[in-house]
Amino acid sequence: MIIKSRRKNKRRPFDPILLLVLLLTIGLTALLIKANYTIPVTSFGLAAEVARFQPRSGVESPVTAVLLNFRGYDTLLEVMILLIAVIGVWSLTKAPFPQKAVKTSPVQLAVVRLLAPLMCLVAAYLVWQGSHLAGGAFQGGAILGGAGVLLLVAELPWLRTIHSRPLRIGLLIGPLFFLGVALLGIINGRELLTYPGKWSGSLLLLIESTCAVSIGLTLASLFAGGRPADDLIGQTKTPACNREQKRC
Amino acid sequence: MTIFNSSAWIVAPIIIPLIGGLLCFLWRRDTFFIALFISLANLLSVTTLLRQFLLFGPLRYRMGGWEAPLGIALRLHGPALLMLLMTAVSGIGITLYARGYFSFRISALKHNNRHEQQERFFWPLWLMLWTALNALFLSGDIFNLYVTLELVSVSAAALAALSGKPASQIAAFRYLLVSLLGSLSYLLGVVFVYKTYGILDLEMLRQIATPGPGLQMALTLMTLGLLLKTALFPLHFWLPPAHANALAPVSAILSGLVVKGSFFILFTLWFEIFASSITANALDLIGLLGAGAVIWGSLQAIRQQRLKLLVTYSTVAQLGYLFIAFPLTATENISQEVWTAVTFMVMAHSFAKTAMFMAAGTIFLQVGHDRIRDLAGIRKSLPITSFAYAIAGVNLIGLPPSGGFIGKWLLLTAALTSGQWHWSLVIIAGSLLASVYVFRVVSRLFLTPDEAIIQECRPHSPLQEWPALFLAIIALLLGLIAPYFSLILETTEIVANLAPGGGL
Repeated sequence: MIIKSRRKNKRRPFDPILLLVLLLTIGLTALLIKANYTIPVTSFGLAAEVARFQPRSGVESPVTAVLLNFRGYDTLLEVMILLIAVIGVWSLTKAPFPQKAVKTSPVQLAVVRLLAPLMCLVAAYLVWQGSHLAGGAFQGGAILGGAGVLLLVAELPWLRTIHSRPLRIGLLIGPLFFLGVALLGIINGRELLTYPGKWSGSLLLLIESTCAVSIGLTLASLFAGGRPADDLIGQTKTPACNREQKRC
Repeated sequence: MTIFNSSAWIVAPIIIPLIGGLLCFLWRRDTFFIALFISLANLLSVTTLLRQFLLFGPLRYRMGGWEAPLGIALRLHGPALLMLLMTAVSGIGITLYARGYFSFRISALKHNNRHEQQERFFWPLWLMLWTALNALFLSGDIFNLYVTLELVSVSAAALAALSGKPASQIAAFRYLLVSLLGSLSYLLGVVFVYKTYGILDLEMLRQIATPGPGLQMALTLMTLGLLLKTALFPLHFWLPPAHANALAPVSAILSGLVVKGSFFILFTLWFEIFASSITANALDLIGLLGAGAVIWGSLQAIRQQRLKLLVTYSTVAQLGYLFIAFPLTATENISQEVWTAVTFMVMAHSFAKTAMFMAAGTIFLQVGHDRIRDLAGIRKSLPITSFAYAIAGVNLIGLPPSGGFIGKWLLLTAALTSGQWHWSLVIIAGSLLASVYVFRVVSRLFLTPDEAIIQECRPHSPLQEWPALFLAIIALLLGLIAPYFSLILETTEIVANLAPGGGL
């Protein structure tokens, strides 16, 4: 079976499956275009509701209020999706760093040195701004991820020796903190994700900051394309023992 | 003061595996015991929910304390509860089997590093997938359903790629793309729902949904996406390579549980939320595709030379039955029976298929191949596994007293009482074909040829064999406890009748 599918992949000038998918996509697009022009918008959504309950959410920005408070459950699951993506990538391969150290040009190094701290600062600002204007964990995390990508592209030597455990803790800190705060509601006898009224503003900011760190690390790890080099060391002991036993 | 609100049990099936998944990724050591503990805790929480459900009827939970149009609601109704129960029981079986499977492969001294790495990443991904499925069954919000669908597809695709073989990686990548296409199509449908009604809560949508161009468009898009994810013929093309090339416990998860998730959403949307807008033509079309799936999938299964591919194609065929049920709901007074039938088919197929993939995986590990031609006499070295395979096969054929029998019987009755006898022909033909592809393997397993070849008997742990038998027997005995399930489903009905426009 495996051999068969491999062969199939080598010579594939025409594949009925691809044609089916193509037709399906074209059909969908046509339908969508038609629908978009013919179906009237009959509702204005929930904007009024959001505005009404805004003061009770603990933040001034309606987007943040929806993301973290009114529909915080969606966001909690979305943060988990990002994490699963990293676990999935780590399960496939090690991060493909080149064998030899590459000499980075001084211009690039200078740019990275200048930009990376600045980007961290911008990320922190965006997270803070999330409480009253546009911004928040995902935006801040994206900038942080960008900073990580910049470092990775410059191929700084210390990146390849990053240990797995601190990286995992960094990846998990946002999801775990979010989950912990969510459970706080249950412990207080209310629903999951109910924030204690007085503290909700600062708790939301904390959630956003930790999640921004995790999201930034997630994006950078996805760019690195694999798990850290020392990720398997903890368990390699057993096979070595087995091999010795076999020799005996 | 700490007051534990008893309605909080409803989030336990989501939170417990989620915590487990995060911990498994963080700790890495003794992850199996974390997973085992989590699966037992999950079963406990689901049984508690069952007790609450029988006492108080369907539950509704406001996430974050916000009322429905603004916040997200979880809801627990009969079908969702049964799905949770099914996932909890299958999940325990899969967790135990996966332990046996990986420890056997690690002890085999071949690429052992690779197998350890596979096991290490299997646990967090599996627990996350479990979270996603439970969240999907409990969700009461049409957009939140999309988020759970994404959670399911990302973790399922990662699991499918875990074996590391090029064939499985290609298949998993295709699976990911198809899944994303399906999710996006569903999301576009949600956009149209929001454009038309301005709310996302399922219960509220059920009350205000009226047939119109917006809803029609939304339903078309959502149905298409979900059919793609459920692999209804002819959109099943991605399923055989993805399921057959994955590791055995992963195949069991994908075939037994994951496809049921998108089917559950589809069924809820068609027959509960938007039931008023469904036309008879659409039902007939879906039924026709289901019939195509039964016949085509069975024929393909009969043709296969490899055990795992055979089991995979039988999934395509068995999924067809679920869709044949669609046109049978057209007659008002029997729709409850069809609901029961479909729930039974889903549960029976889930248990049986999980068991079958486990058995196929054990046979593959033990013999080193899964060419059906050369499997003669495996019963001698793997009696329990062969027995489990045979019992699971009984379920797929639909012999009494299995859950599959009850499901098919209810479908047949519905087809005859509603005067749509042509569907009953397909159901019977499918059963006959199923018996061909089941007995093709079972006869090999149990008949020892005269020139008996002594199989190389490698040591294996009981965890590799017993979970499959356990699940197969549950599937077999489902028929005997059928009245209890009907009771759970009827609890839904009472409440649905009280609510305006109940489509159940």
